[in-house]
Formats: sequence, C-alpha cells, structure tokens
Amino acid sequence: QLDRGCALHTAARDGLSSVSSQDVPAQRPRAVFHTSESDPAKHTEQHEGRLYNIPLEEVKAVFPHGLPHRFQQQIRTFNEARVMVRKPALELLACLKGSNLAHPAVRYVIYGERGTGKTMTLCHVVHYCSRQGWLVLHIPDAHLWVKNCKELLQSSYKKDRLDQPLQASVWLKNFKSSNERFLQEIKTQKKYMWGKQECTEEGRPLGEVVEQGLARVRSASDAVGVVLREIKQQSHRGSFRLLVAVDGVNALWGRTTLRKEDKSPVSPEELTLVHNLRKMVKNDWSGGAIVTTLSQTGSLFKPSSAYTPQELLGKEGFDALDPFVPIPVPNYSPREFESCYGYYLERKWLQHEKAHTEDGKAELQFLSGSNPRQLDRLAGPL
Amino acid sequence: MAAPSAAGMGRRLRAWLPRIMPVRWSRYNPSYLEPEVKKESYQKPLEEQTEEEREQMELKAVRPIKAAPPTLSSSVFSDPMISKFTNMMMKSGNKVLARSLMSQTLEAIKRKQLEKYHKAPENEKETIECNPYVIFHQALKNCQPIIGLSNITKGGKTYQVPVPLTDNRKRFLAMKWLITECRENKHRRTLMPEKLSQELLLAFNNEGPVIKRKHVLHKMAEANRAYAHFRWW
Repeated sequence: QLDRGCALHTAARDGLSSVSSQDVPAQRPRAVFHTSESDPAKHTEQHEGRLYNIPLEEVKAVFPHGLPHRFQQQIRTFNEARVMVRKPALELLACLKGSNLAHPAVRYVIYGERGTGKTMTLCHVVHYCSRQGWLVLHIPDAHLWVKNCKELLQSSYKKDRLDQPLQASVWLKNFKSSNERFLQEIKTQKKYMWGKQECTEEGRPLGEVVEQGLARVRSASDAVGVVLREIKQQSHRGSFRLLVAVDGVNALWGRTTLRKEDKSPVSPEELTLVHNLRKMVKNDWSGGAIVTTLSQTGSLFKPSSAYTPQELLGKEGFDALDPFVPIPVPNYSPREFESCYGYYLERKWLQHEKAHTEDGKAELQFLSGSNPRQLDRLAGPL
Repeated sequence: MAAPSAAGMGRRLRAWLPRIMPVRWSRYNPSYLEPEVKKESYQKPLEEQTEEEREQMELKAVRPIKAAPPTLSSSVFSDPMISKFTNMMMKSGNKVLARSLMSQTLEAIKRKQLEKYHKAPENEKETIECNPYVIFHQALKNCQPIIGLSNITKGGKTYQVPVPLTDNRKRFLAMKWLITECRENKHRRTLMPEKLSQELLLAFNNEGPVIKRKHVLHKMAEANRAYAHFRWW
C-alpha cells in the first residue's frame, strides 16, 4: 500500500505526515485524509477524521458478518475497505487499553441518532480486539433473532423455551470462520448430551461443539448456549481475553413479532438464543469487555425519533444494563465531512461535474446535514 | 386564480377574462411573472446587467410572481431530462418511489462502470465512461428515431406514412420505449433499477432491444417511402 497521508489543512497542527502522495494531483485543492496506519492499536487523536485501510483478506477473516450492507457494497466497488477513525471509537479504544481485566467486565453502550456511524464504531473496536488477539463474540444484529423467524422449534432442554435453528446455525458458521484457533484451545468442562445418543465428553475442544451444532441443526441453539457458557466460565482464567460485541442490544429487552403455534405472542425470554445472550451481557464475569450498540433502525415497536438508551432499552433493559459507559456518536464534524467528501472524489464516486464545485459541496453538506448515512445515500446517484 | 383582477396593471389587463376557462391548467392573470430559481441571476452586480435585465428586475419588484411548481429545483444537480424520465416512470402519482428508483438506477450504472474501470488495464481506463448522467444522455440520444410513421386514411384505406418528428416527440419516444421495454420484456422478479441500468448501458453501446426497435421503425419508414407524398404538412 502506498503511504498516502497528505493533510493540507492540519499540516500546522500535526507536523508529521508530510509524506508526499504521488497519486493526488497537485491541482486538487481539497485535502485527502488517508492514513497508512492500519493497526487500530496505534490510532490516536492525530488520526482523527482520517480513513485507514483494512486489507481485504483481513476483512474476510475478521468480519464474516457484522459490516453494514452498504459498506460491503462500497468495498466491492472501490476494491478496498477504508474506515474513518472518529472520536467515539478513539475514546472506546482508550478505555479498553486502560481497562483492568481482573475486574468485572465493563459495559459500553454506543448510542446516537440514525445513520451516525454506531455500527462502524463497533466494527472498528472489533478490528482492534481481533488484532490484539482477543476472542471476539460478534453478534451482527440482535434484531434478526427476534423477528422474521421461519422456524421455531420447542426446545428439548427446557420445555417452555423456543429454539431458532436457522439463525443459530448461521451465527455458528460465521463464528467458526473468525475464531478458528480459540475453538481448538478452549476445552469443555462438562459432559453435554445432545438428544439421546450423541454426547460431547469433558475436555474436548469447543470446535466439536460447534461442529455438532452445524451438523445437527435442531440442536444449534443449544450449541450456541453451550459455547457462550463455556467461554464465559473460562474467561477469568486469563488465557484469552473476551470481547462481547452486540449490535442492536435493545432487541434483547423489547418485544418480538414472533408468534407461537397458538398465535400467542412470544416474549424475548422464551427464546433460547436471547436468554443465553442476556446472561452473556451481564457483568458477572471478568477478563474482557462488553461493547454494545443501540439501534432504532431494525427495532420493533419503537418510534423512529427514539435514540437515547432510556427510550430504546425500556425500563427492563436499562436496569439490566445499568452500570454502563454511554458513548454518544454525533454526525460528521466539518473536518470529517471534508475527509469523506475528499475520499469520494478521489475514488471517483462523485461523478457529476457540479459535485466537484464548491456549490455542489455546500449543497451536499446542507442536504445531508453532515449525517454519514444521508451523505452516502445522496452521493450514490451523483 | 382567474377572475378579472382589478389591480390596475394597465388598461389592457383591467377587464380580463380568459377566452377558454381552463379546468386543469394554471389560471394565472397574465400580469403574474415566472419564478426565477437560478442563483447566478441574483448574484450579478448591477453593472453587468443589460437594459432588459435591469427592467426585468424592476418589474419583479412590483408584479406578483406565480407559485413555483414542485418540479422546479434550484439544486445544482437537477437535470430536466432526468425529471422528465422520472415523471414518465411514475405510477399513480408516486413521485417518491419513481425518484428513488431513478437514483438507484444511476447508482447501479455507476457501480457497474466503476467495477469495470478498476479491473481494466491502464490503457483502457480512459475509454470506460463512469458518469451515469453522460451514459443516460448518450443512451437516450442513441435511442431517438430520426423519422416516424403516421396513420393517414385515404380512399378508405389507412397507410403508414413516413413523417418527420419534432425534438420533443423523439425524446418522448426514446424514453417511452426504454420504460416499456423494461416493464414488459424482462423477468418478473428483477427490480426496475437493475433492468433499467442494463438497458441504458446497452443503449449507450448502440446494442440492445430498444436500438433494434428504432432500426425496425426506420426500415418500415424506408419501405413505405412511396406513400410519403400522402403527407400534407
């Protein structure tokens, strides 16, 4: 990768990064904010507002699921994955670096209005943790587990709970592909019976439990429960550090749109996956951190203007998550907007002739209100 | 809006009643002026304006102005051809849906072309056009027929007579053919932006079913050359 870090506006403040970039022509007046630092551990305030590159193999390894759909399309079109370094993410990274792993896990809740970059902040943190060698438990969207479920089976483990084989098997597949080496190292501490014949002995690697869940889809939700339980119990030993990253955590305490066969509504506690995930998000274990995001976009029965933790989590959820560190994510600052706009220009995403003018830029800023999602949607057809 | 307005706008306009009473058209008094949305015309300093422009500005201070229609936009990105196309795609007044389909189409064209651009070797990069607006305009131009056919009845029989077309009619036919082609001759489950972007890219390269339809029309007109004298306008 070429070292592309030229910052015309912030040259006075930063001092460094005067590396010349051969592919930015001299006549372009806008600064292109790139940084060649692709390790999130080394990101500081100096890199704020800049875009860093994640190599495509790493994207496939670290994010089998979890990146927003439009960002995935952008990766395919531009042939590279560039994520902006923003202040909320830097705060979170600083907290994680300074956290004491002997203490119970700290909960961080990323909240903000629609389209401000909460999921991308989460992905930045996930990338940092996977680079540092943590075991990452990434649930891409908890809302997918409480709506649009085609198959609901009655759980064989507990009579009044409901299993979701499809969602569980999809999640197990993605979890396996991103955390191969941990699945060999962690050993089970109890014997588990799957139905009448099959069982997993004590001391077998966790990979076998995952294989069992993928092979017998009926017991996939129970396999997920076992995986979560084992990881939680062994995290305090210190052989690995655990990050629980949940996107759309307000789904765990809301309502579902699922119905049982007698048309009575299902509450989230009755779902095995949600039940186990709630246990994971409780701070009664140590040796890691829990980073969650609130999301109104996929949420059920919540007004579209709701974005604060109190509104989206409700009383039950707020009490369950109670001592947490809130991290608000605002819209783009003027500097971040310049950076994003310059990146689109450089990648030839803004093709309209007027988009290159000052008028066009002012119009884009006004129409999008510096909201990242609106800017992305507006810049699409231009 | 109609009614004889006694605003004292000049002797001719005092007792004004329109000859035809329009039901769906606009019924403004002729004293009303058209709205001006271009920013540049208001930012010009006084010295640069010609006599007519100065008179026009003074007139604007005293005359009432018509309400601006919703299609009129002061945005630098607005394009009258794209608006026309969007209106033709619209069904039962759902402009929001039509506009979003149009923007998704333009984005789809841009993505396809950019992917091709990034995969192409260096020497071919200049030949690949990535601007969806350029592709749209060029595709429409390629689809416009030069000559049309009109039904003329003479002696009890109807003949297809080759006839010249106005610019507006050519543009309309090109847009109409593109939209009907996408709506009817494609697989039921494909979405409109996908179908449209494919058709526009084919038309840009002078291929595809719409260009074929234009050629068929030209051939028919050539075949019916003998009846050209039936036309009297």
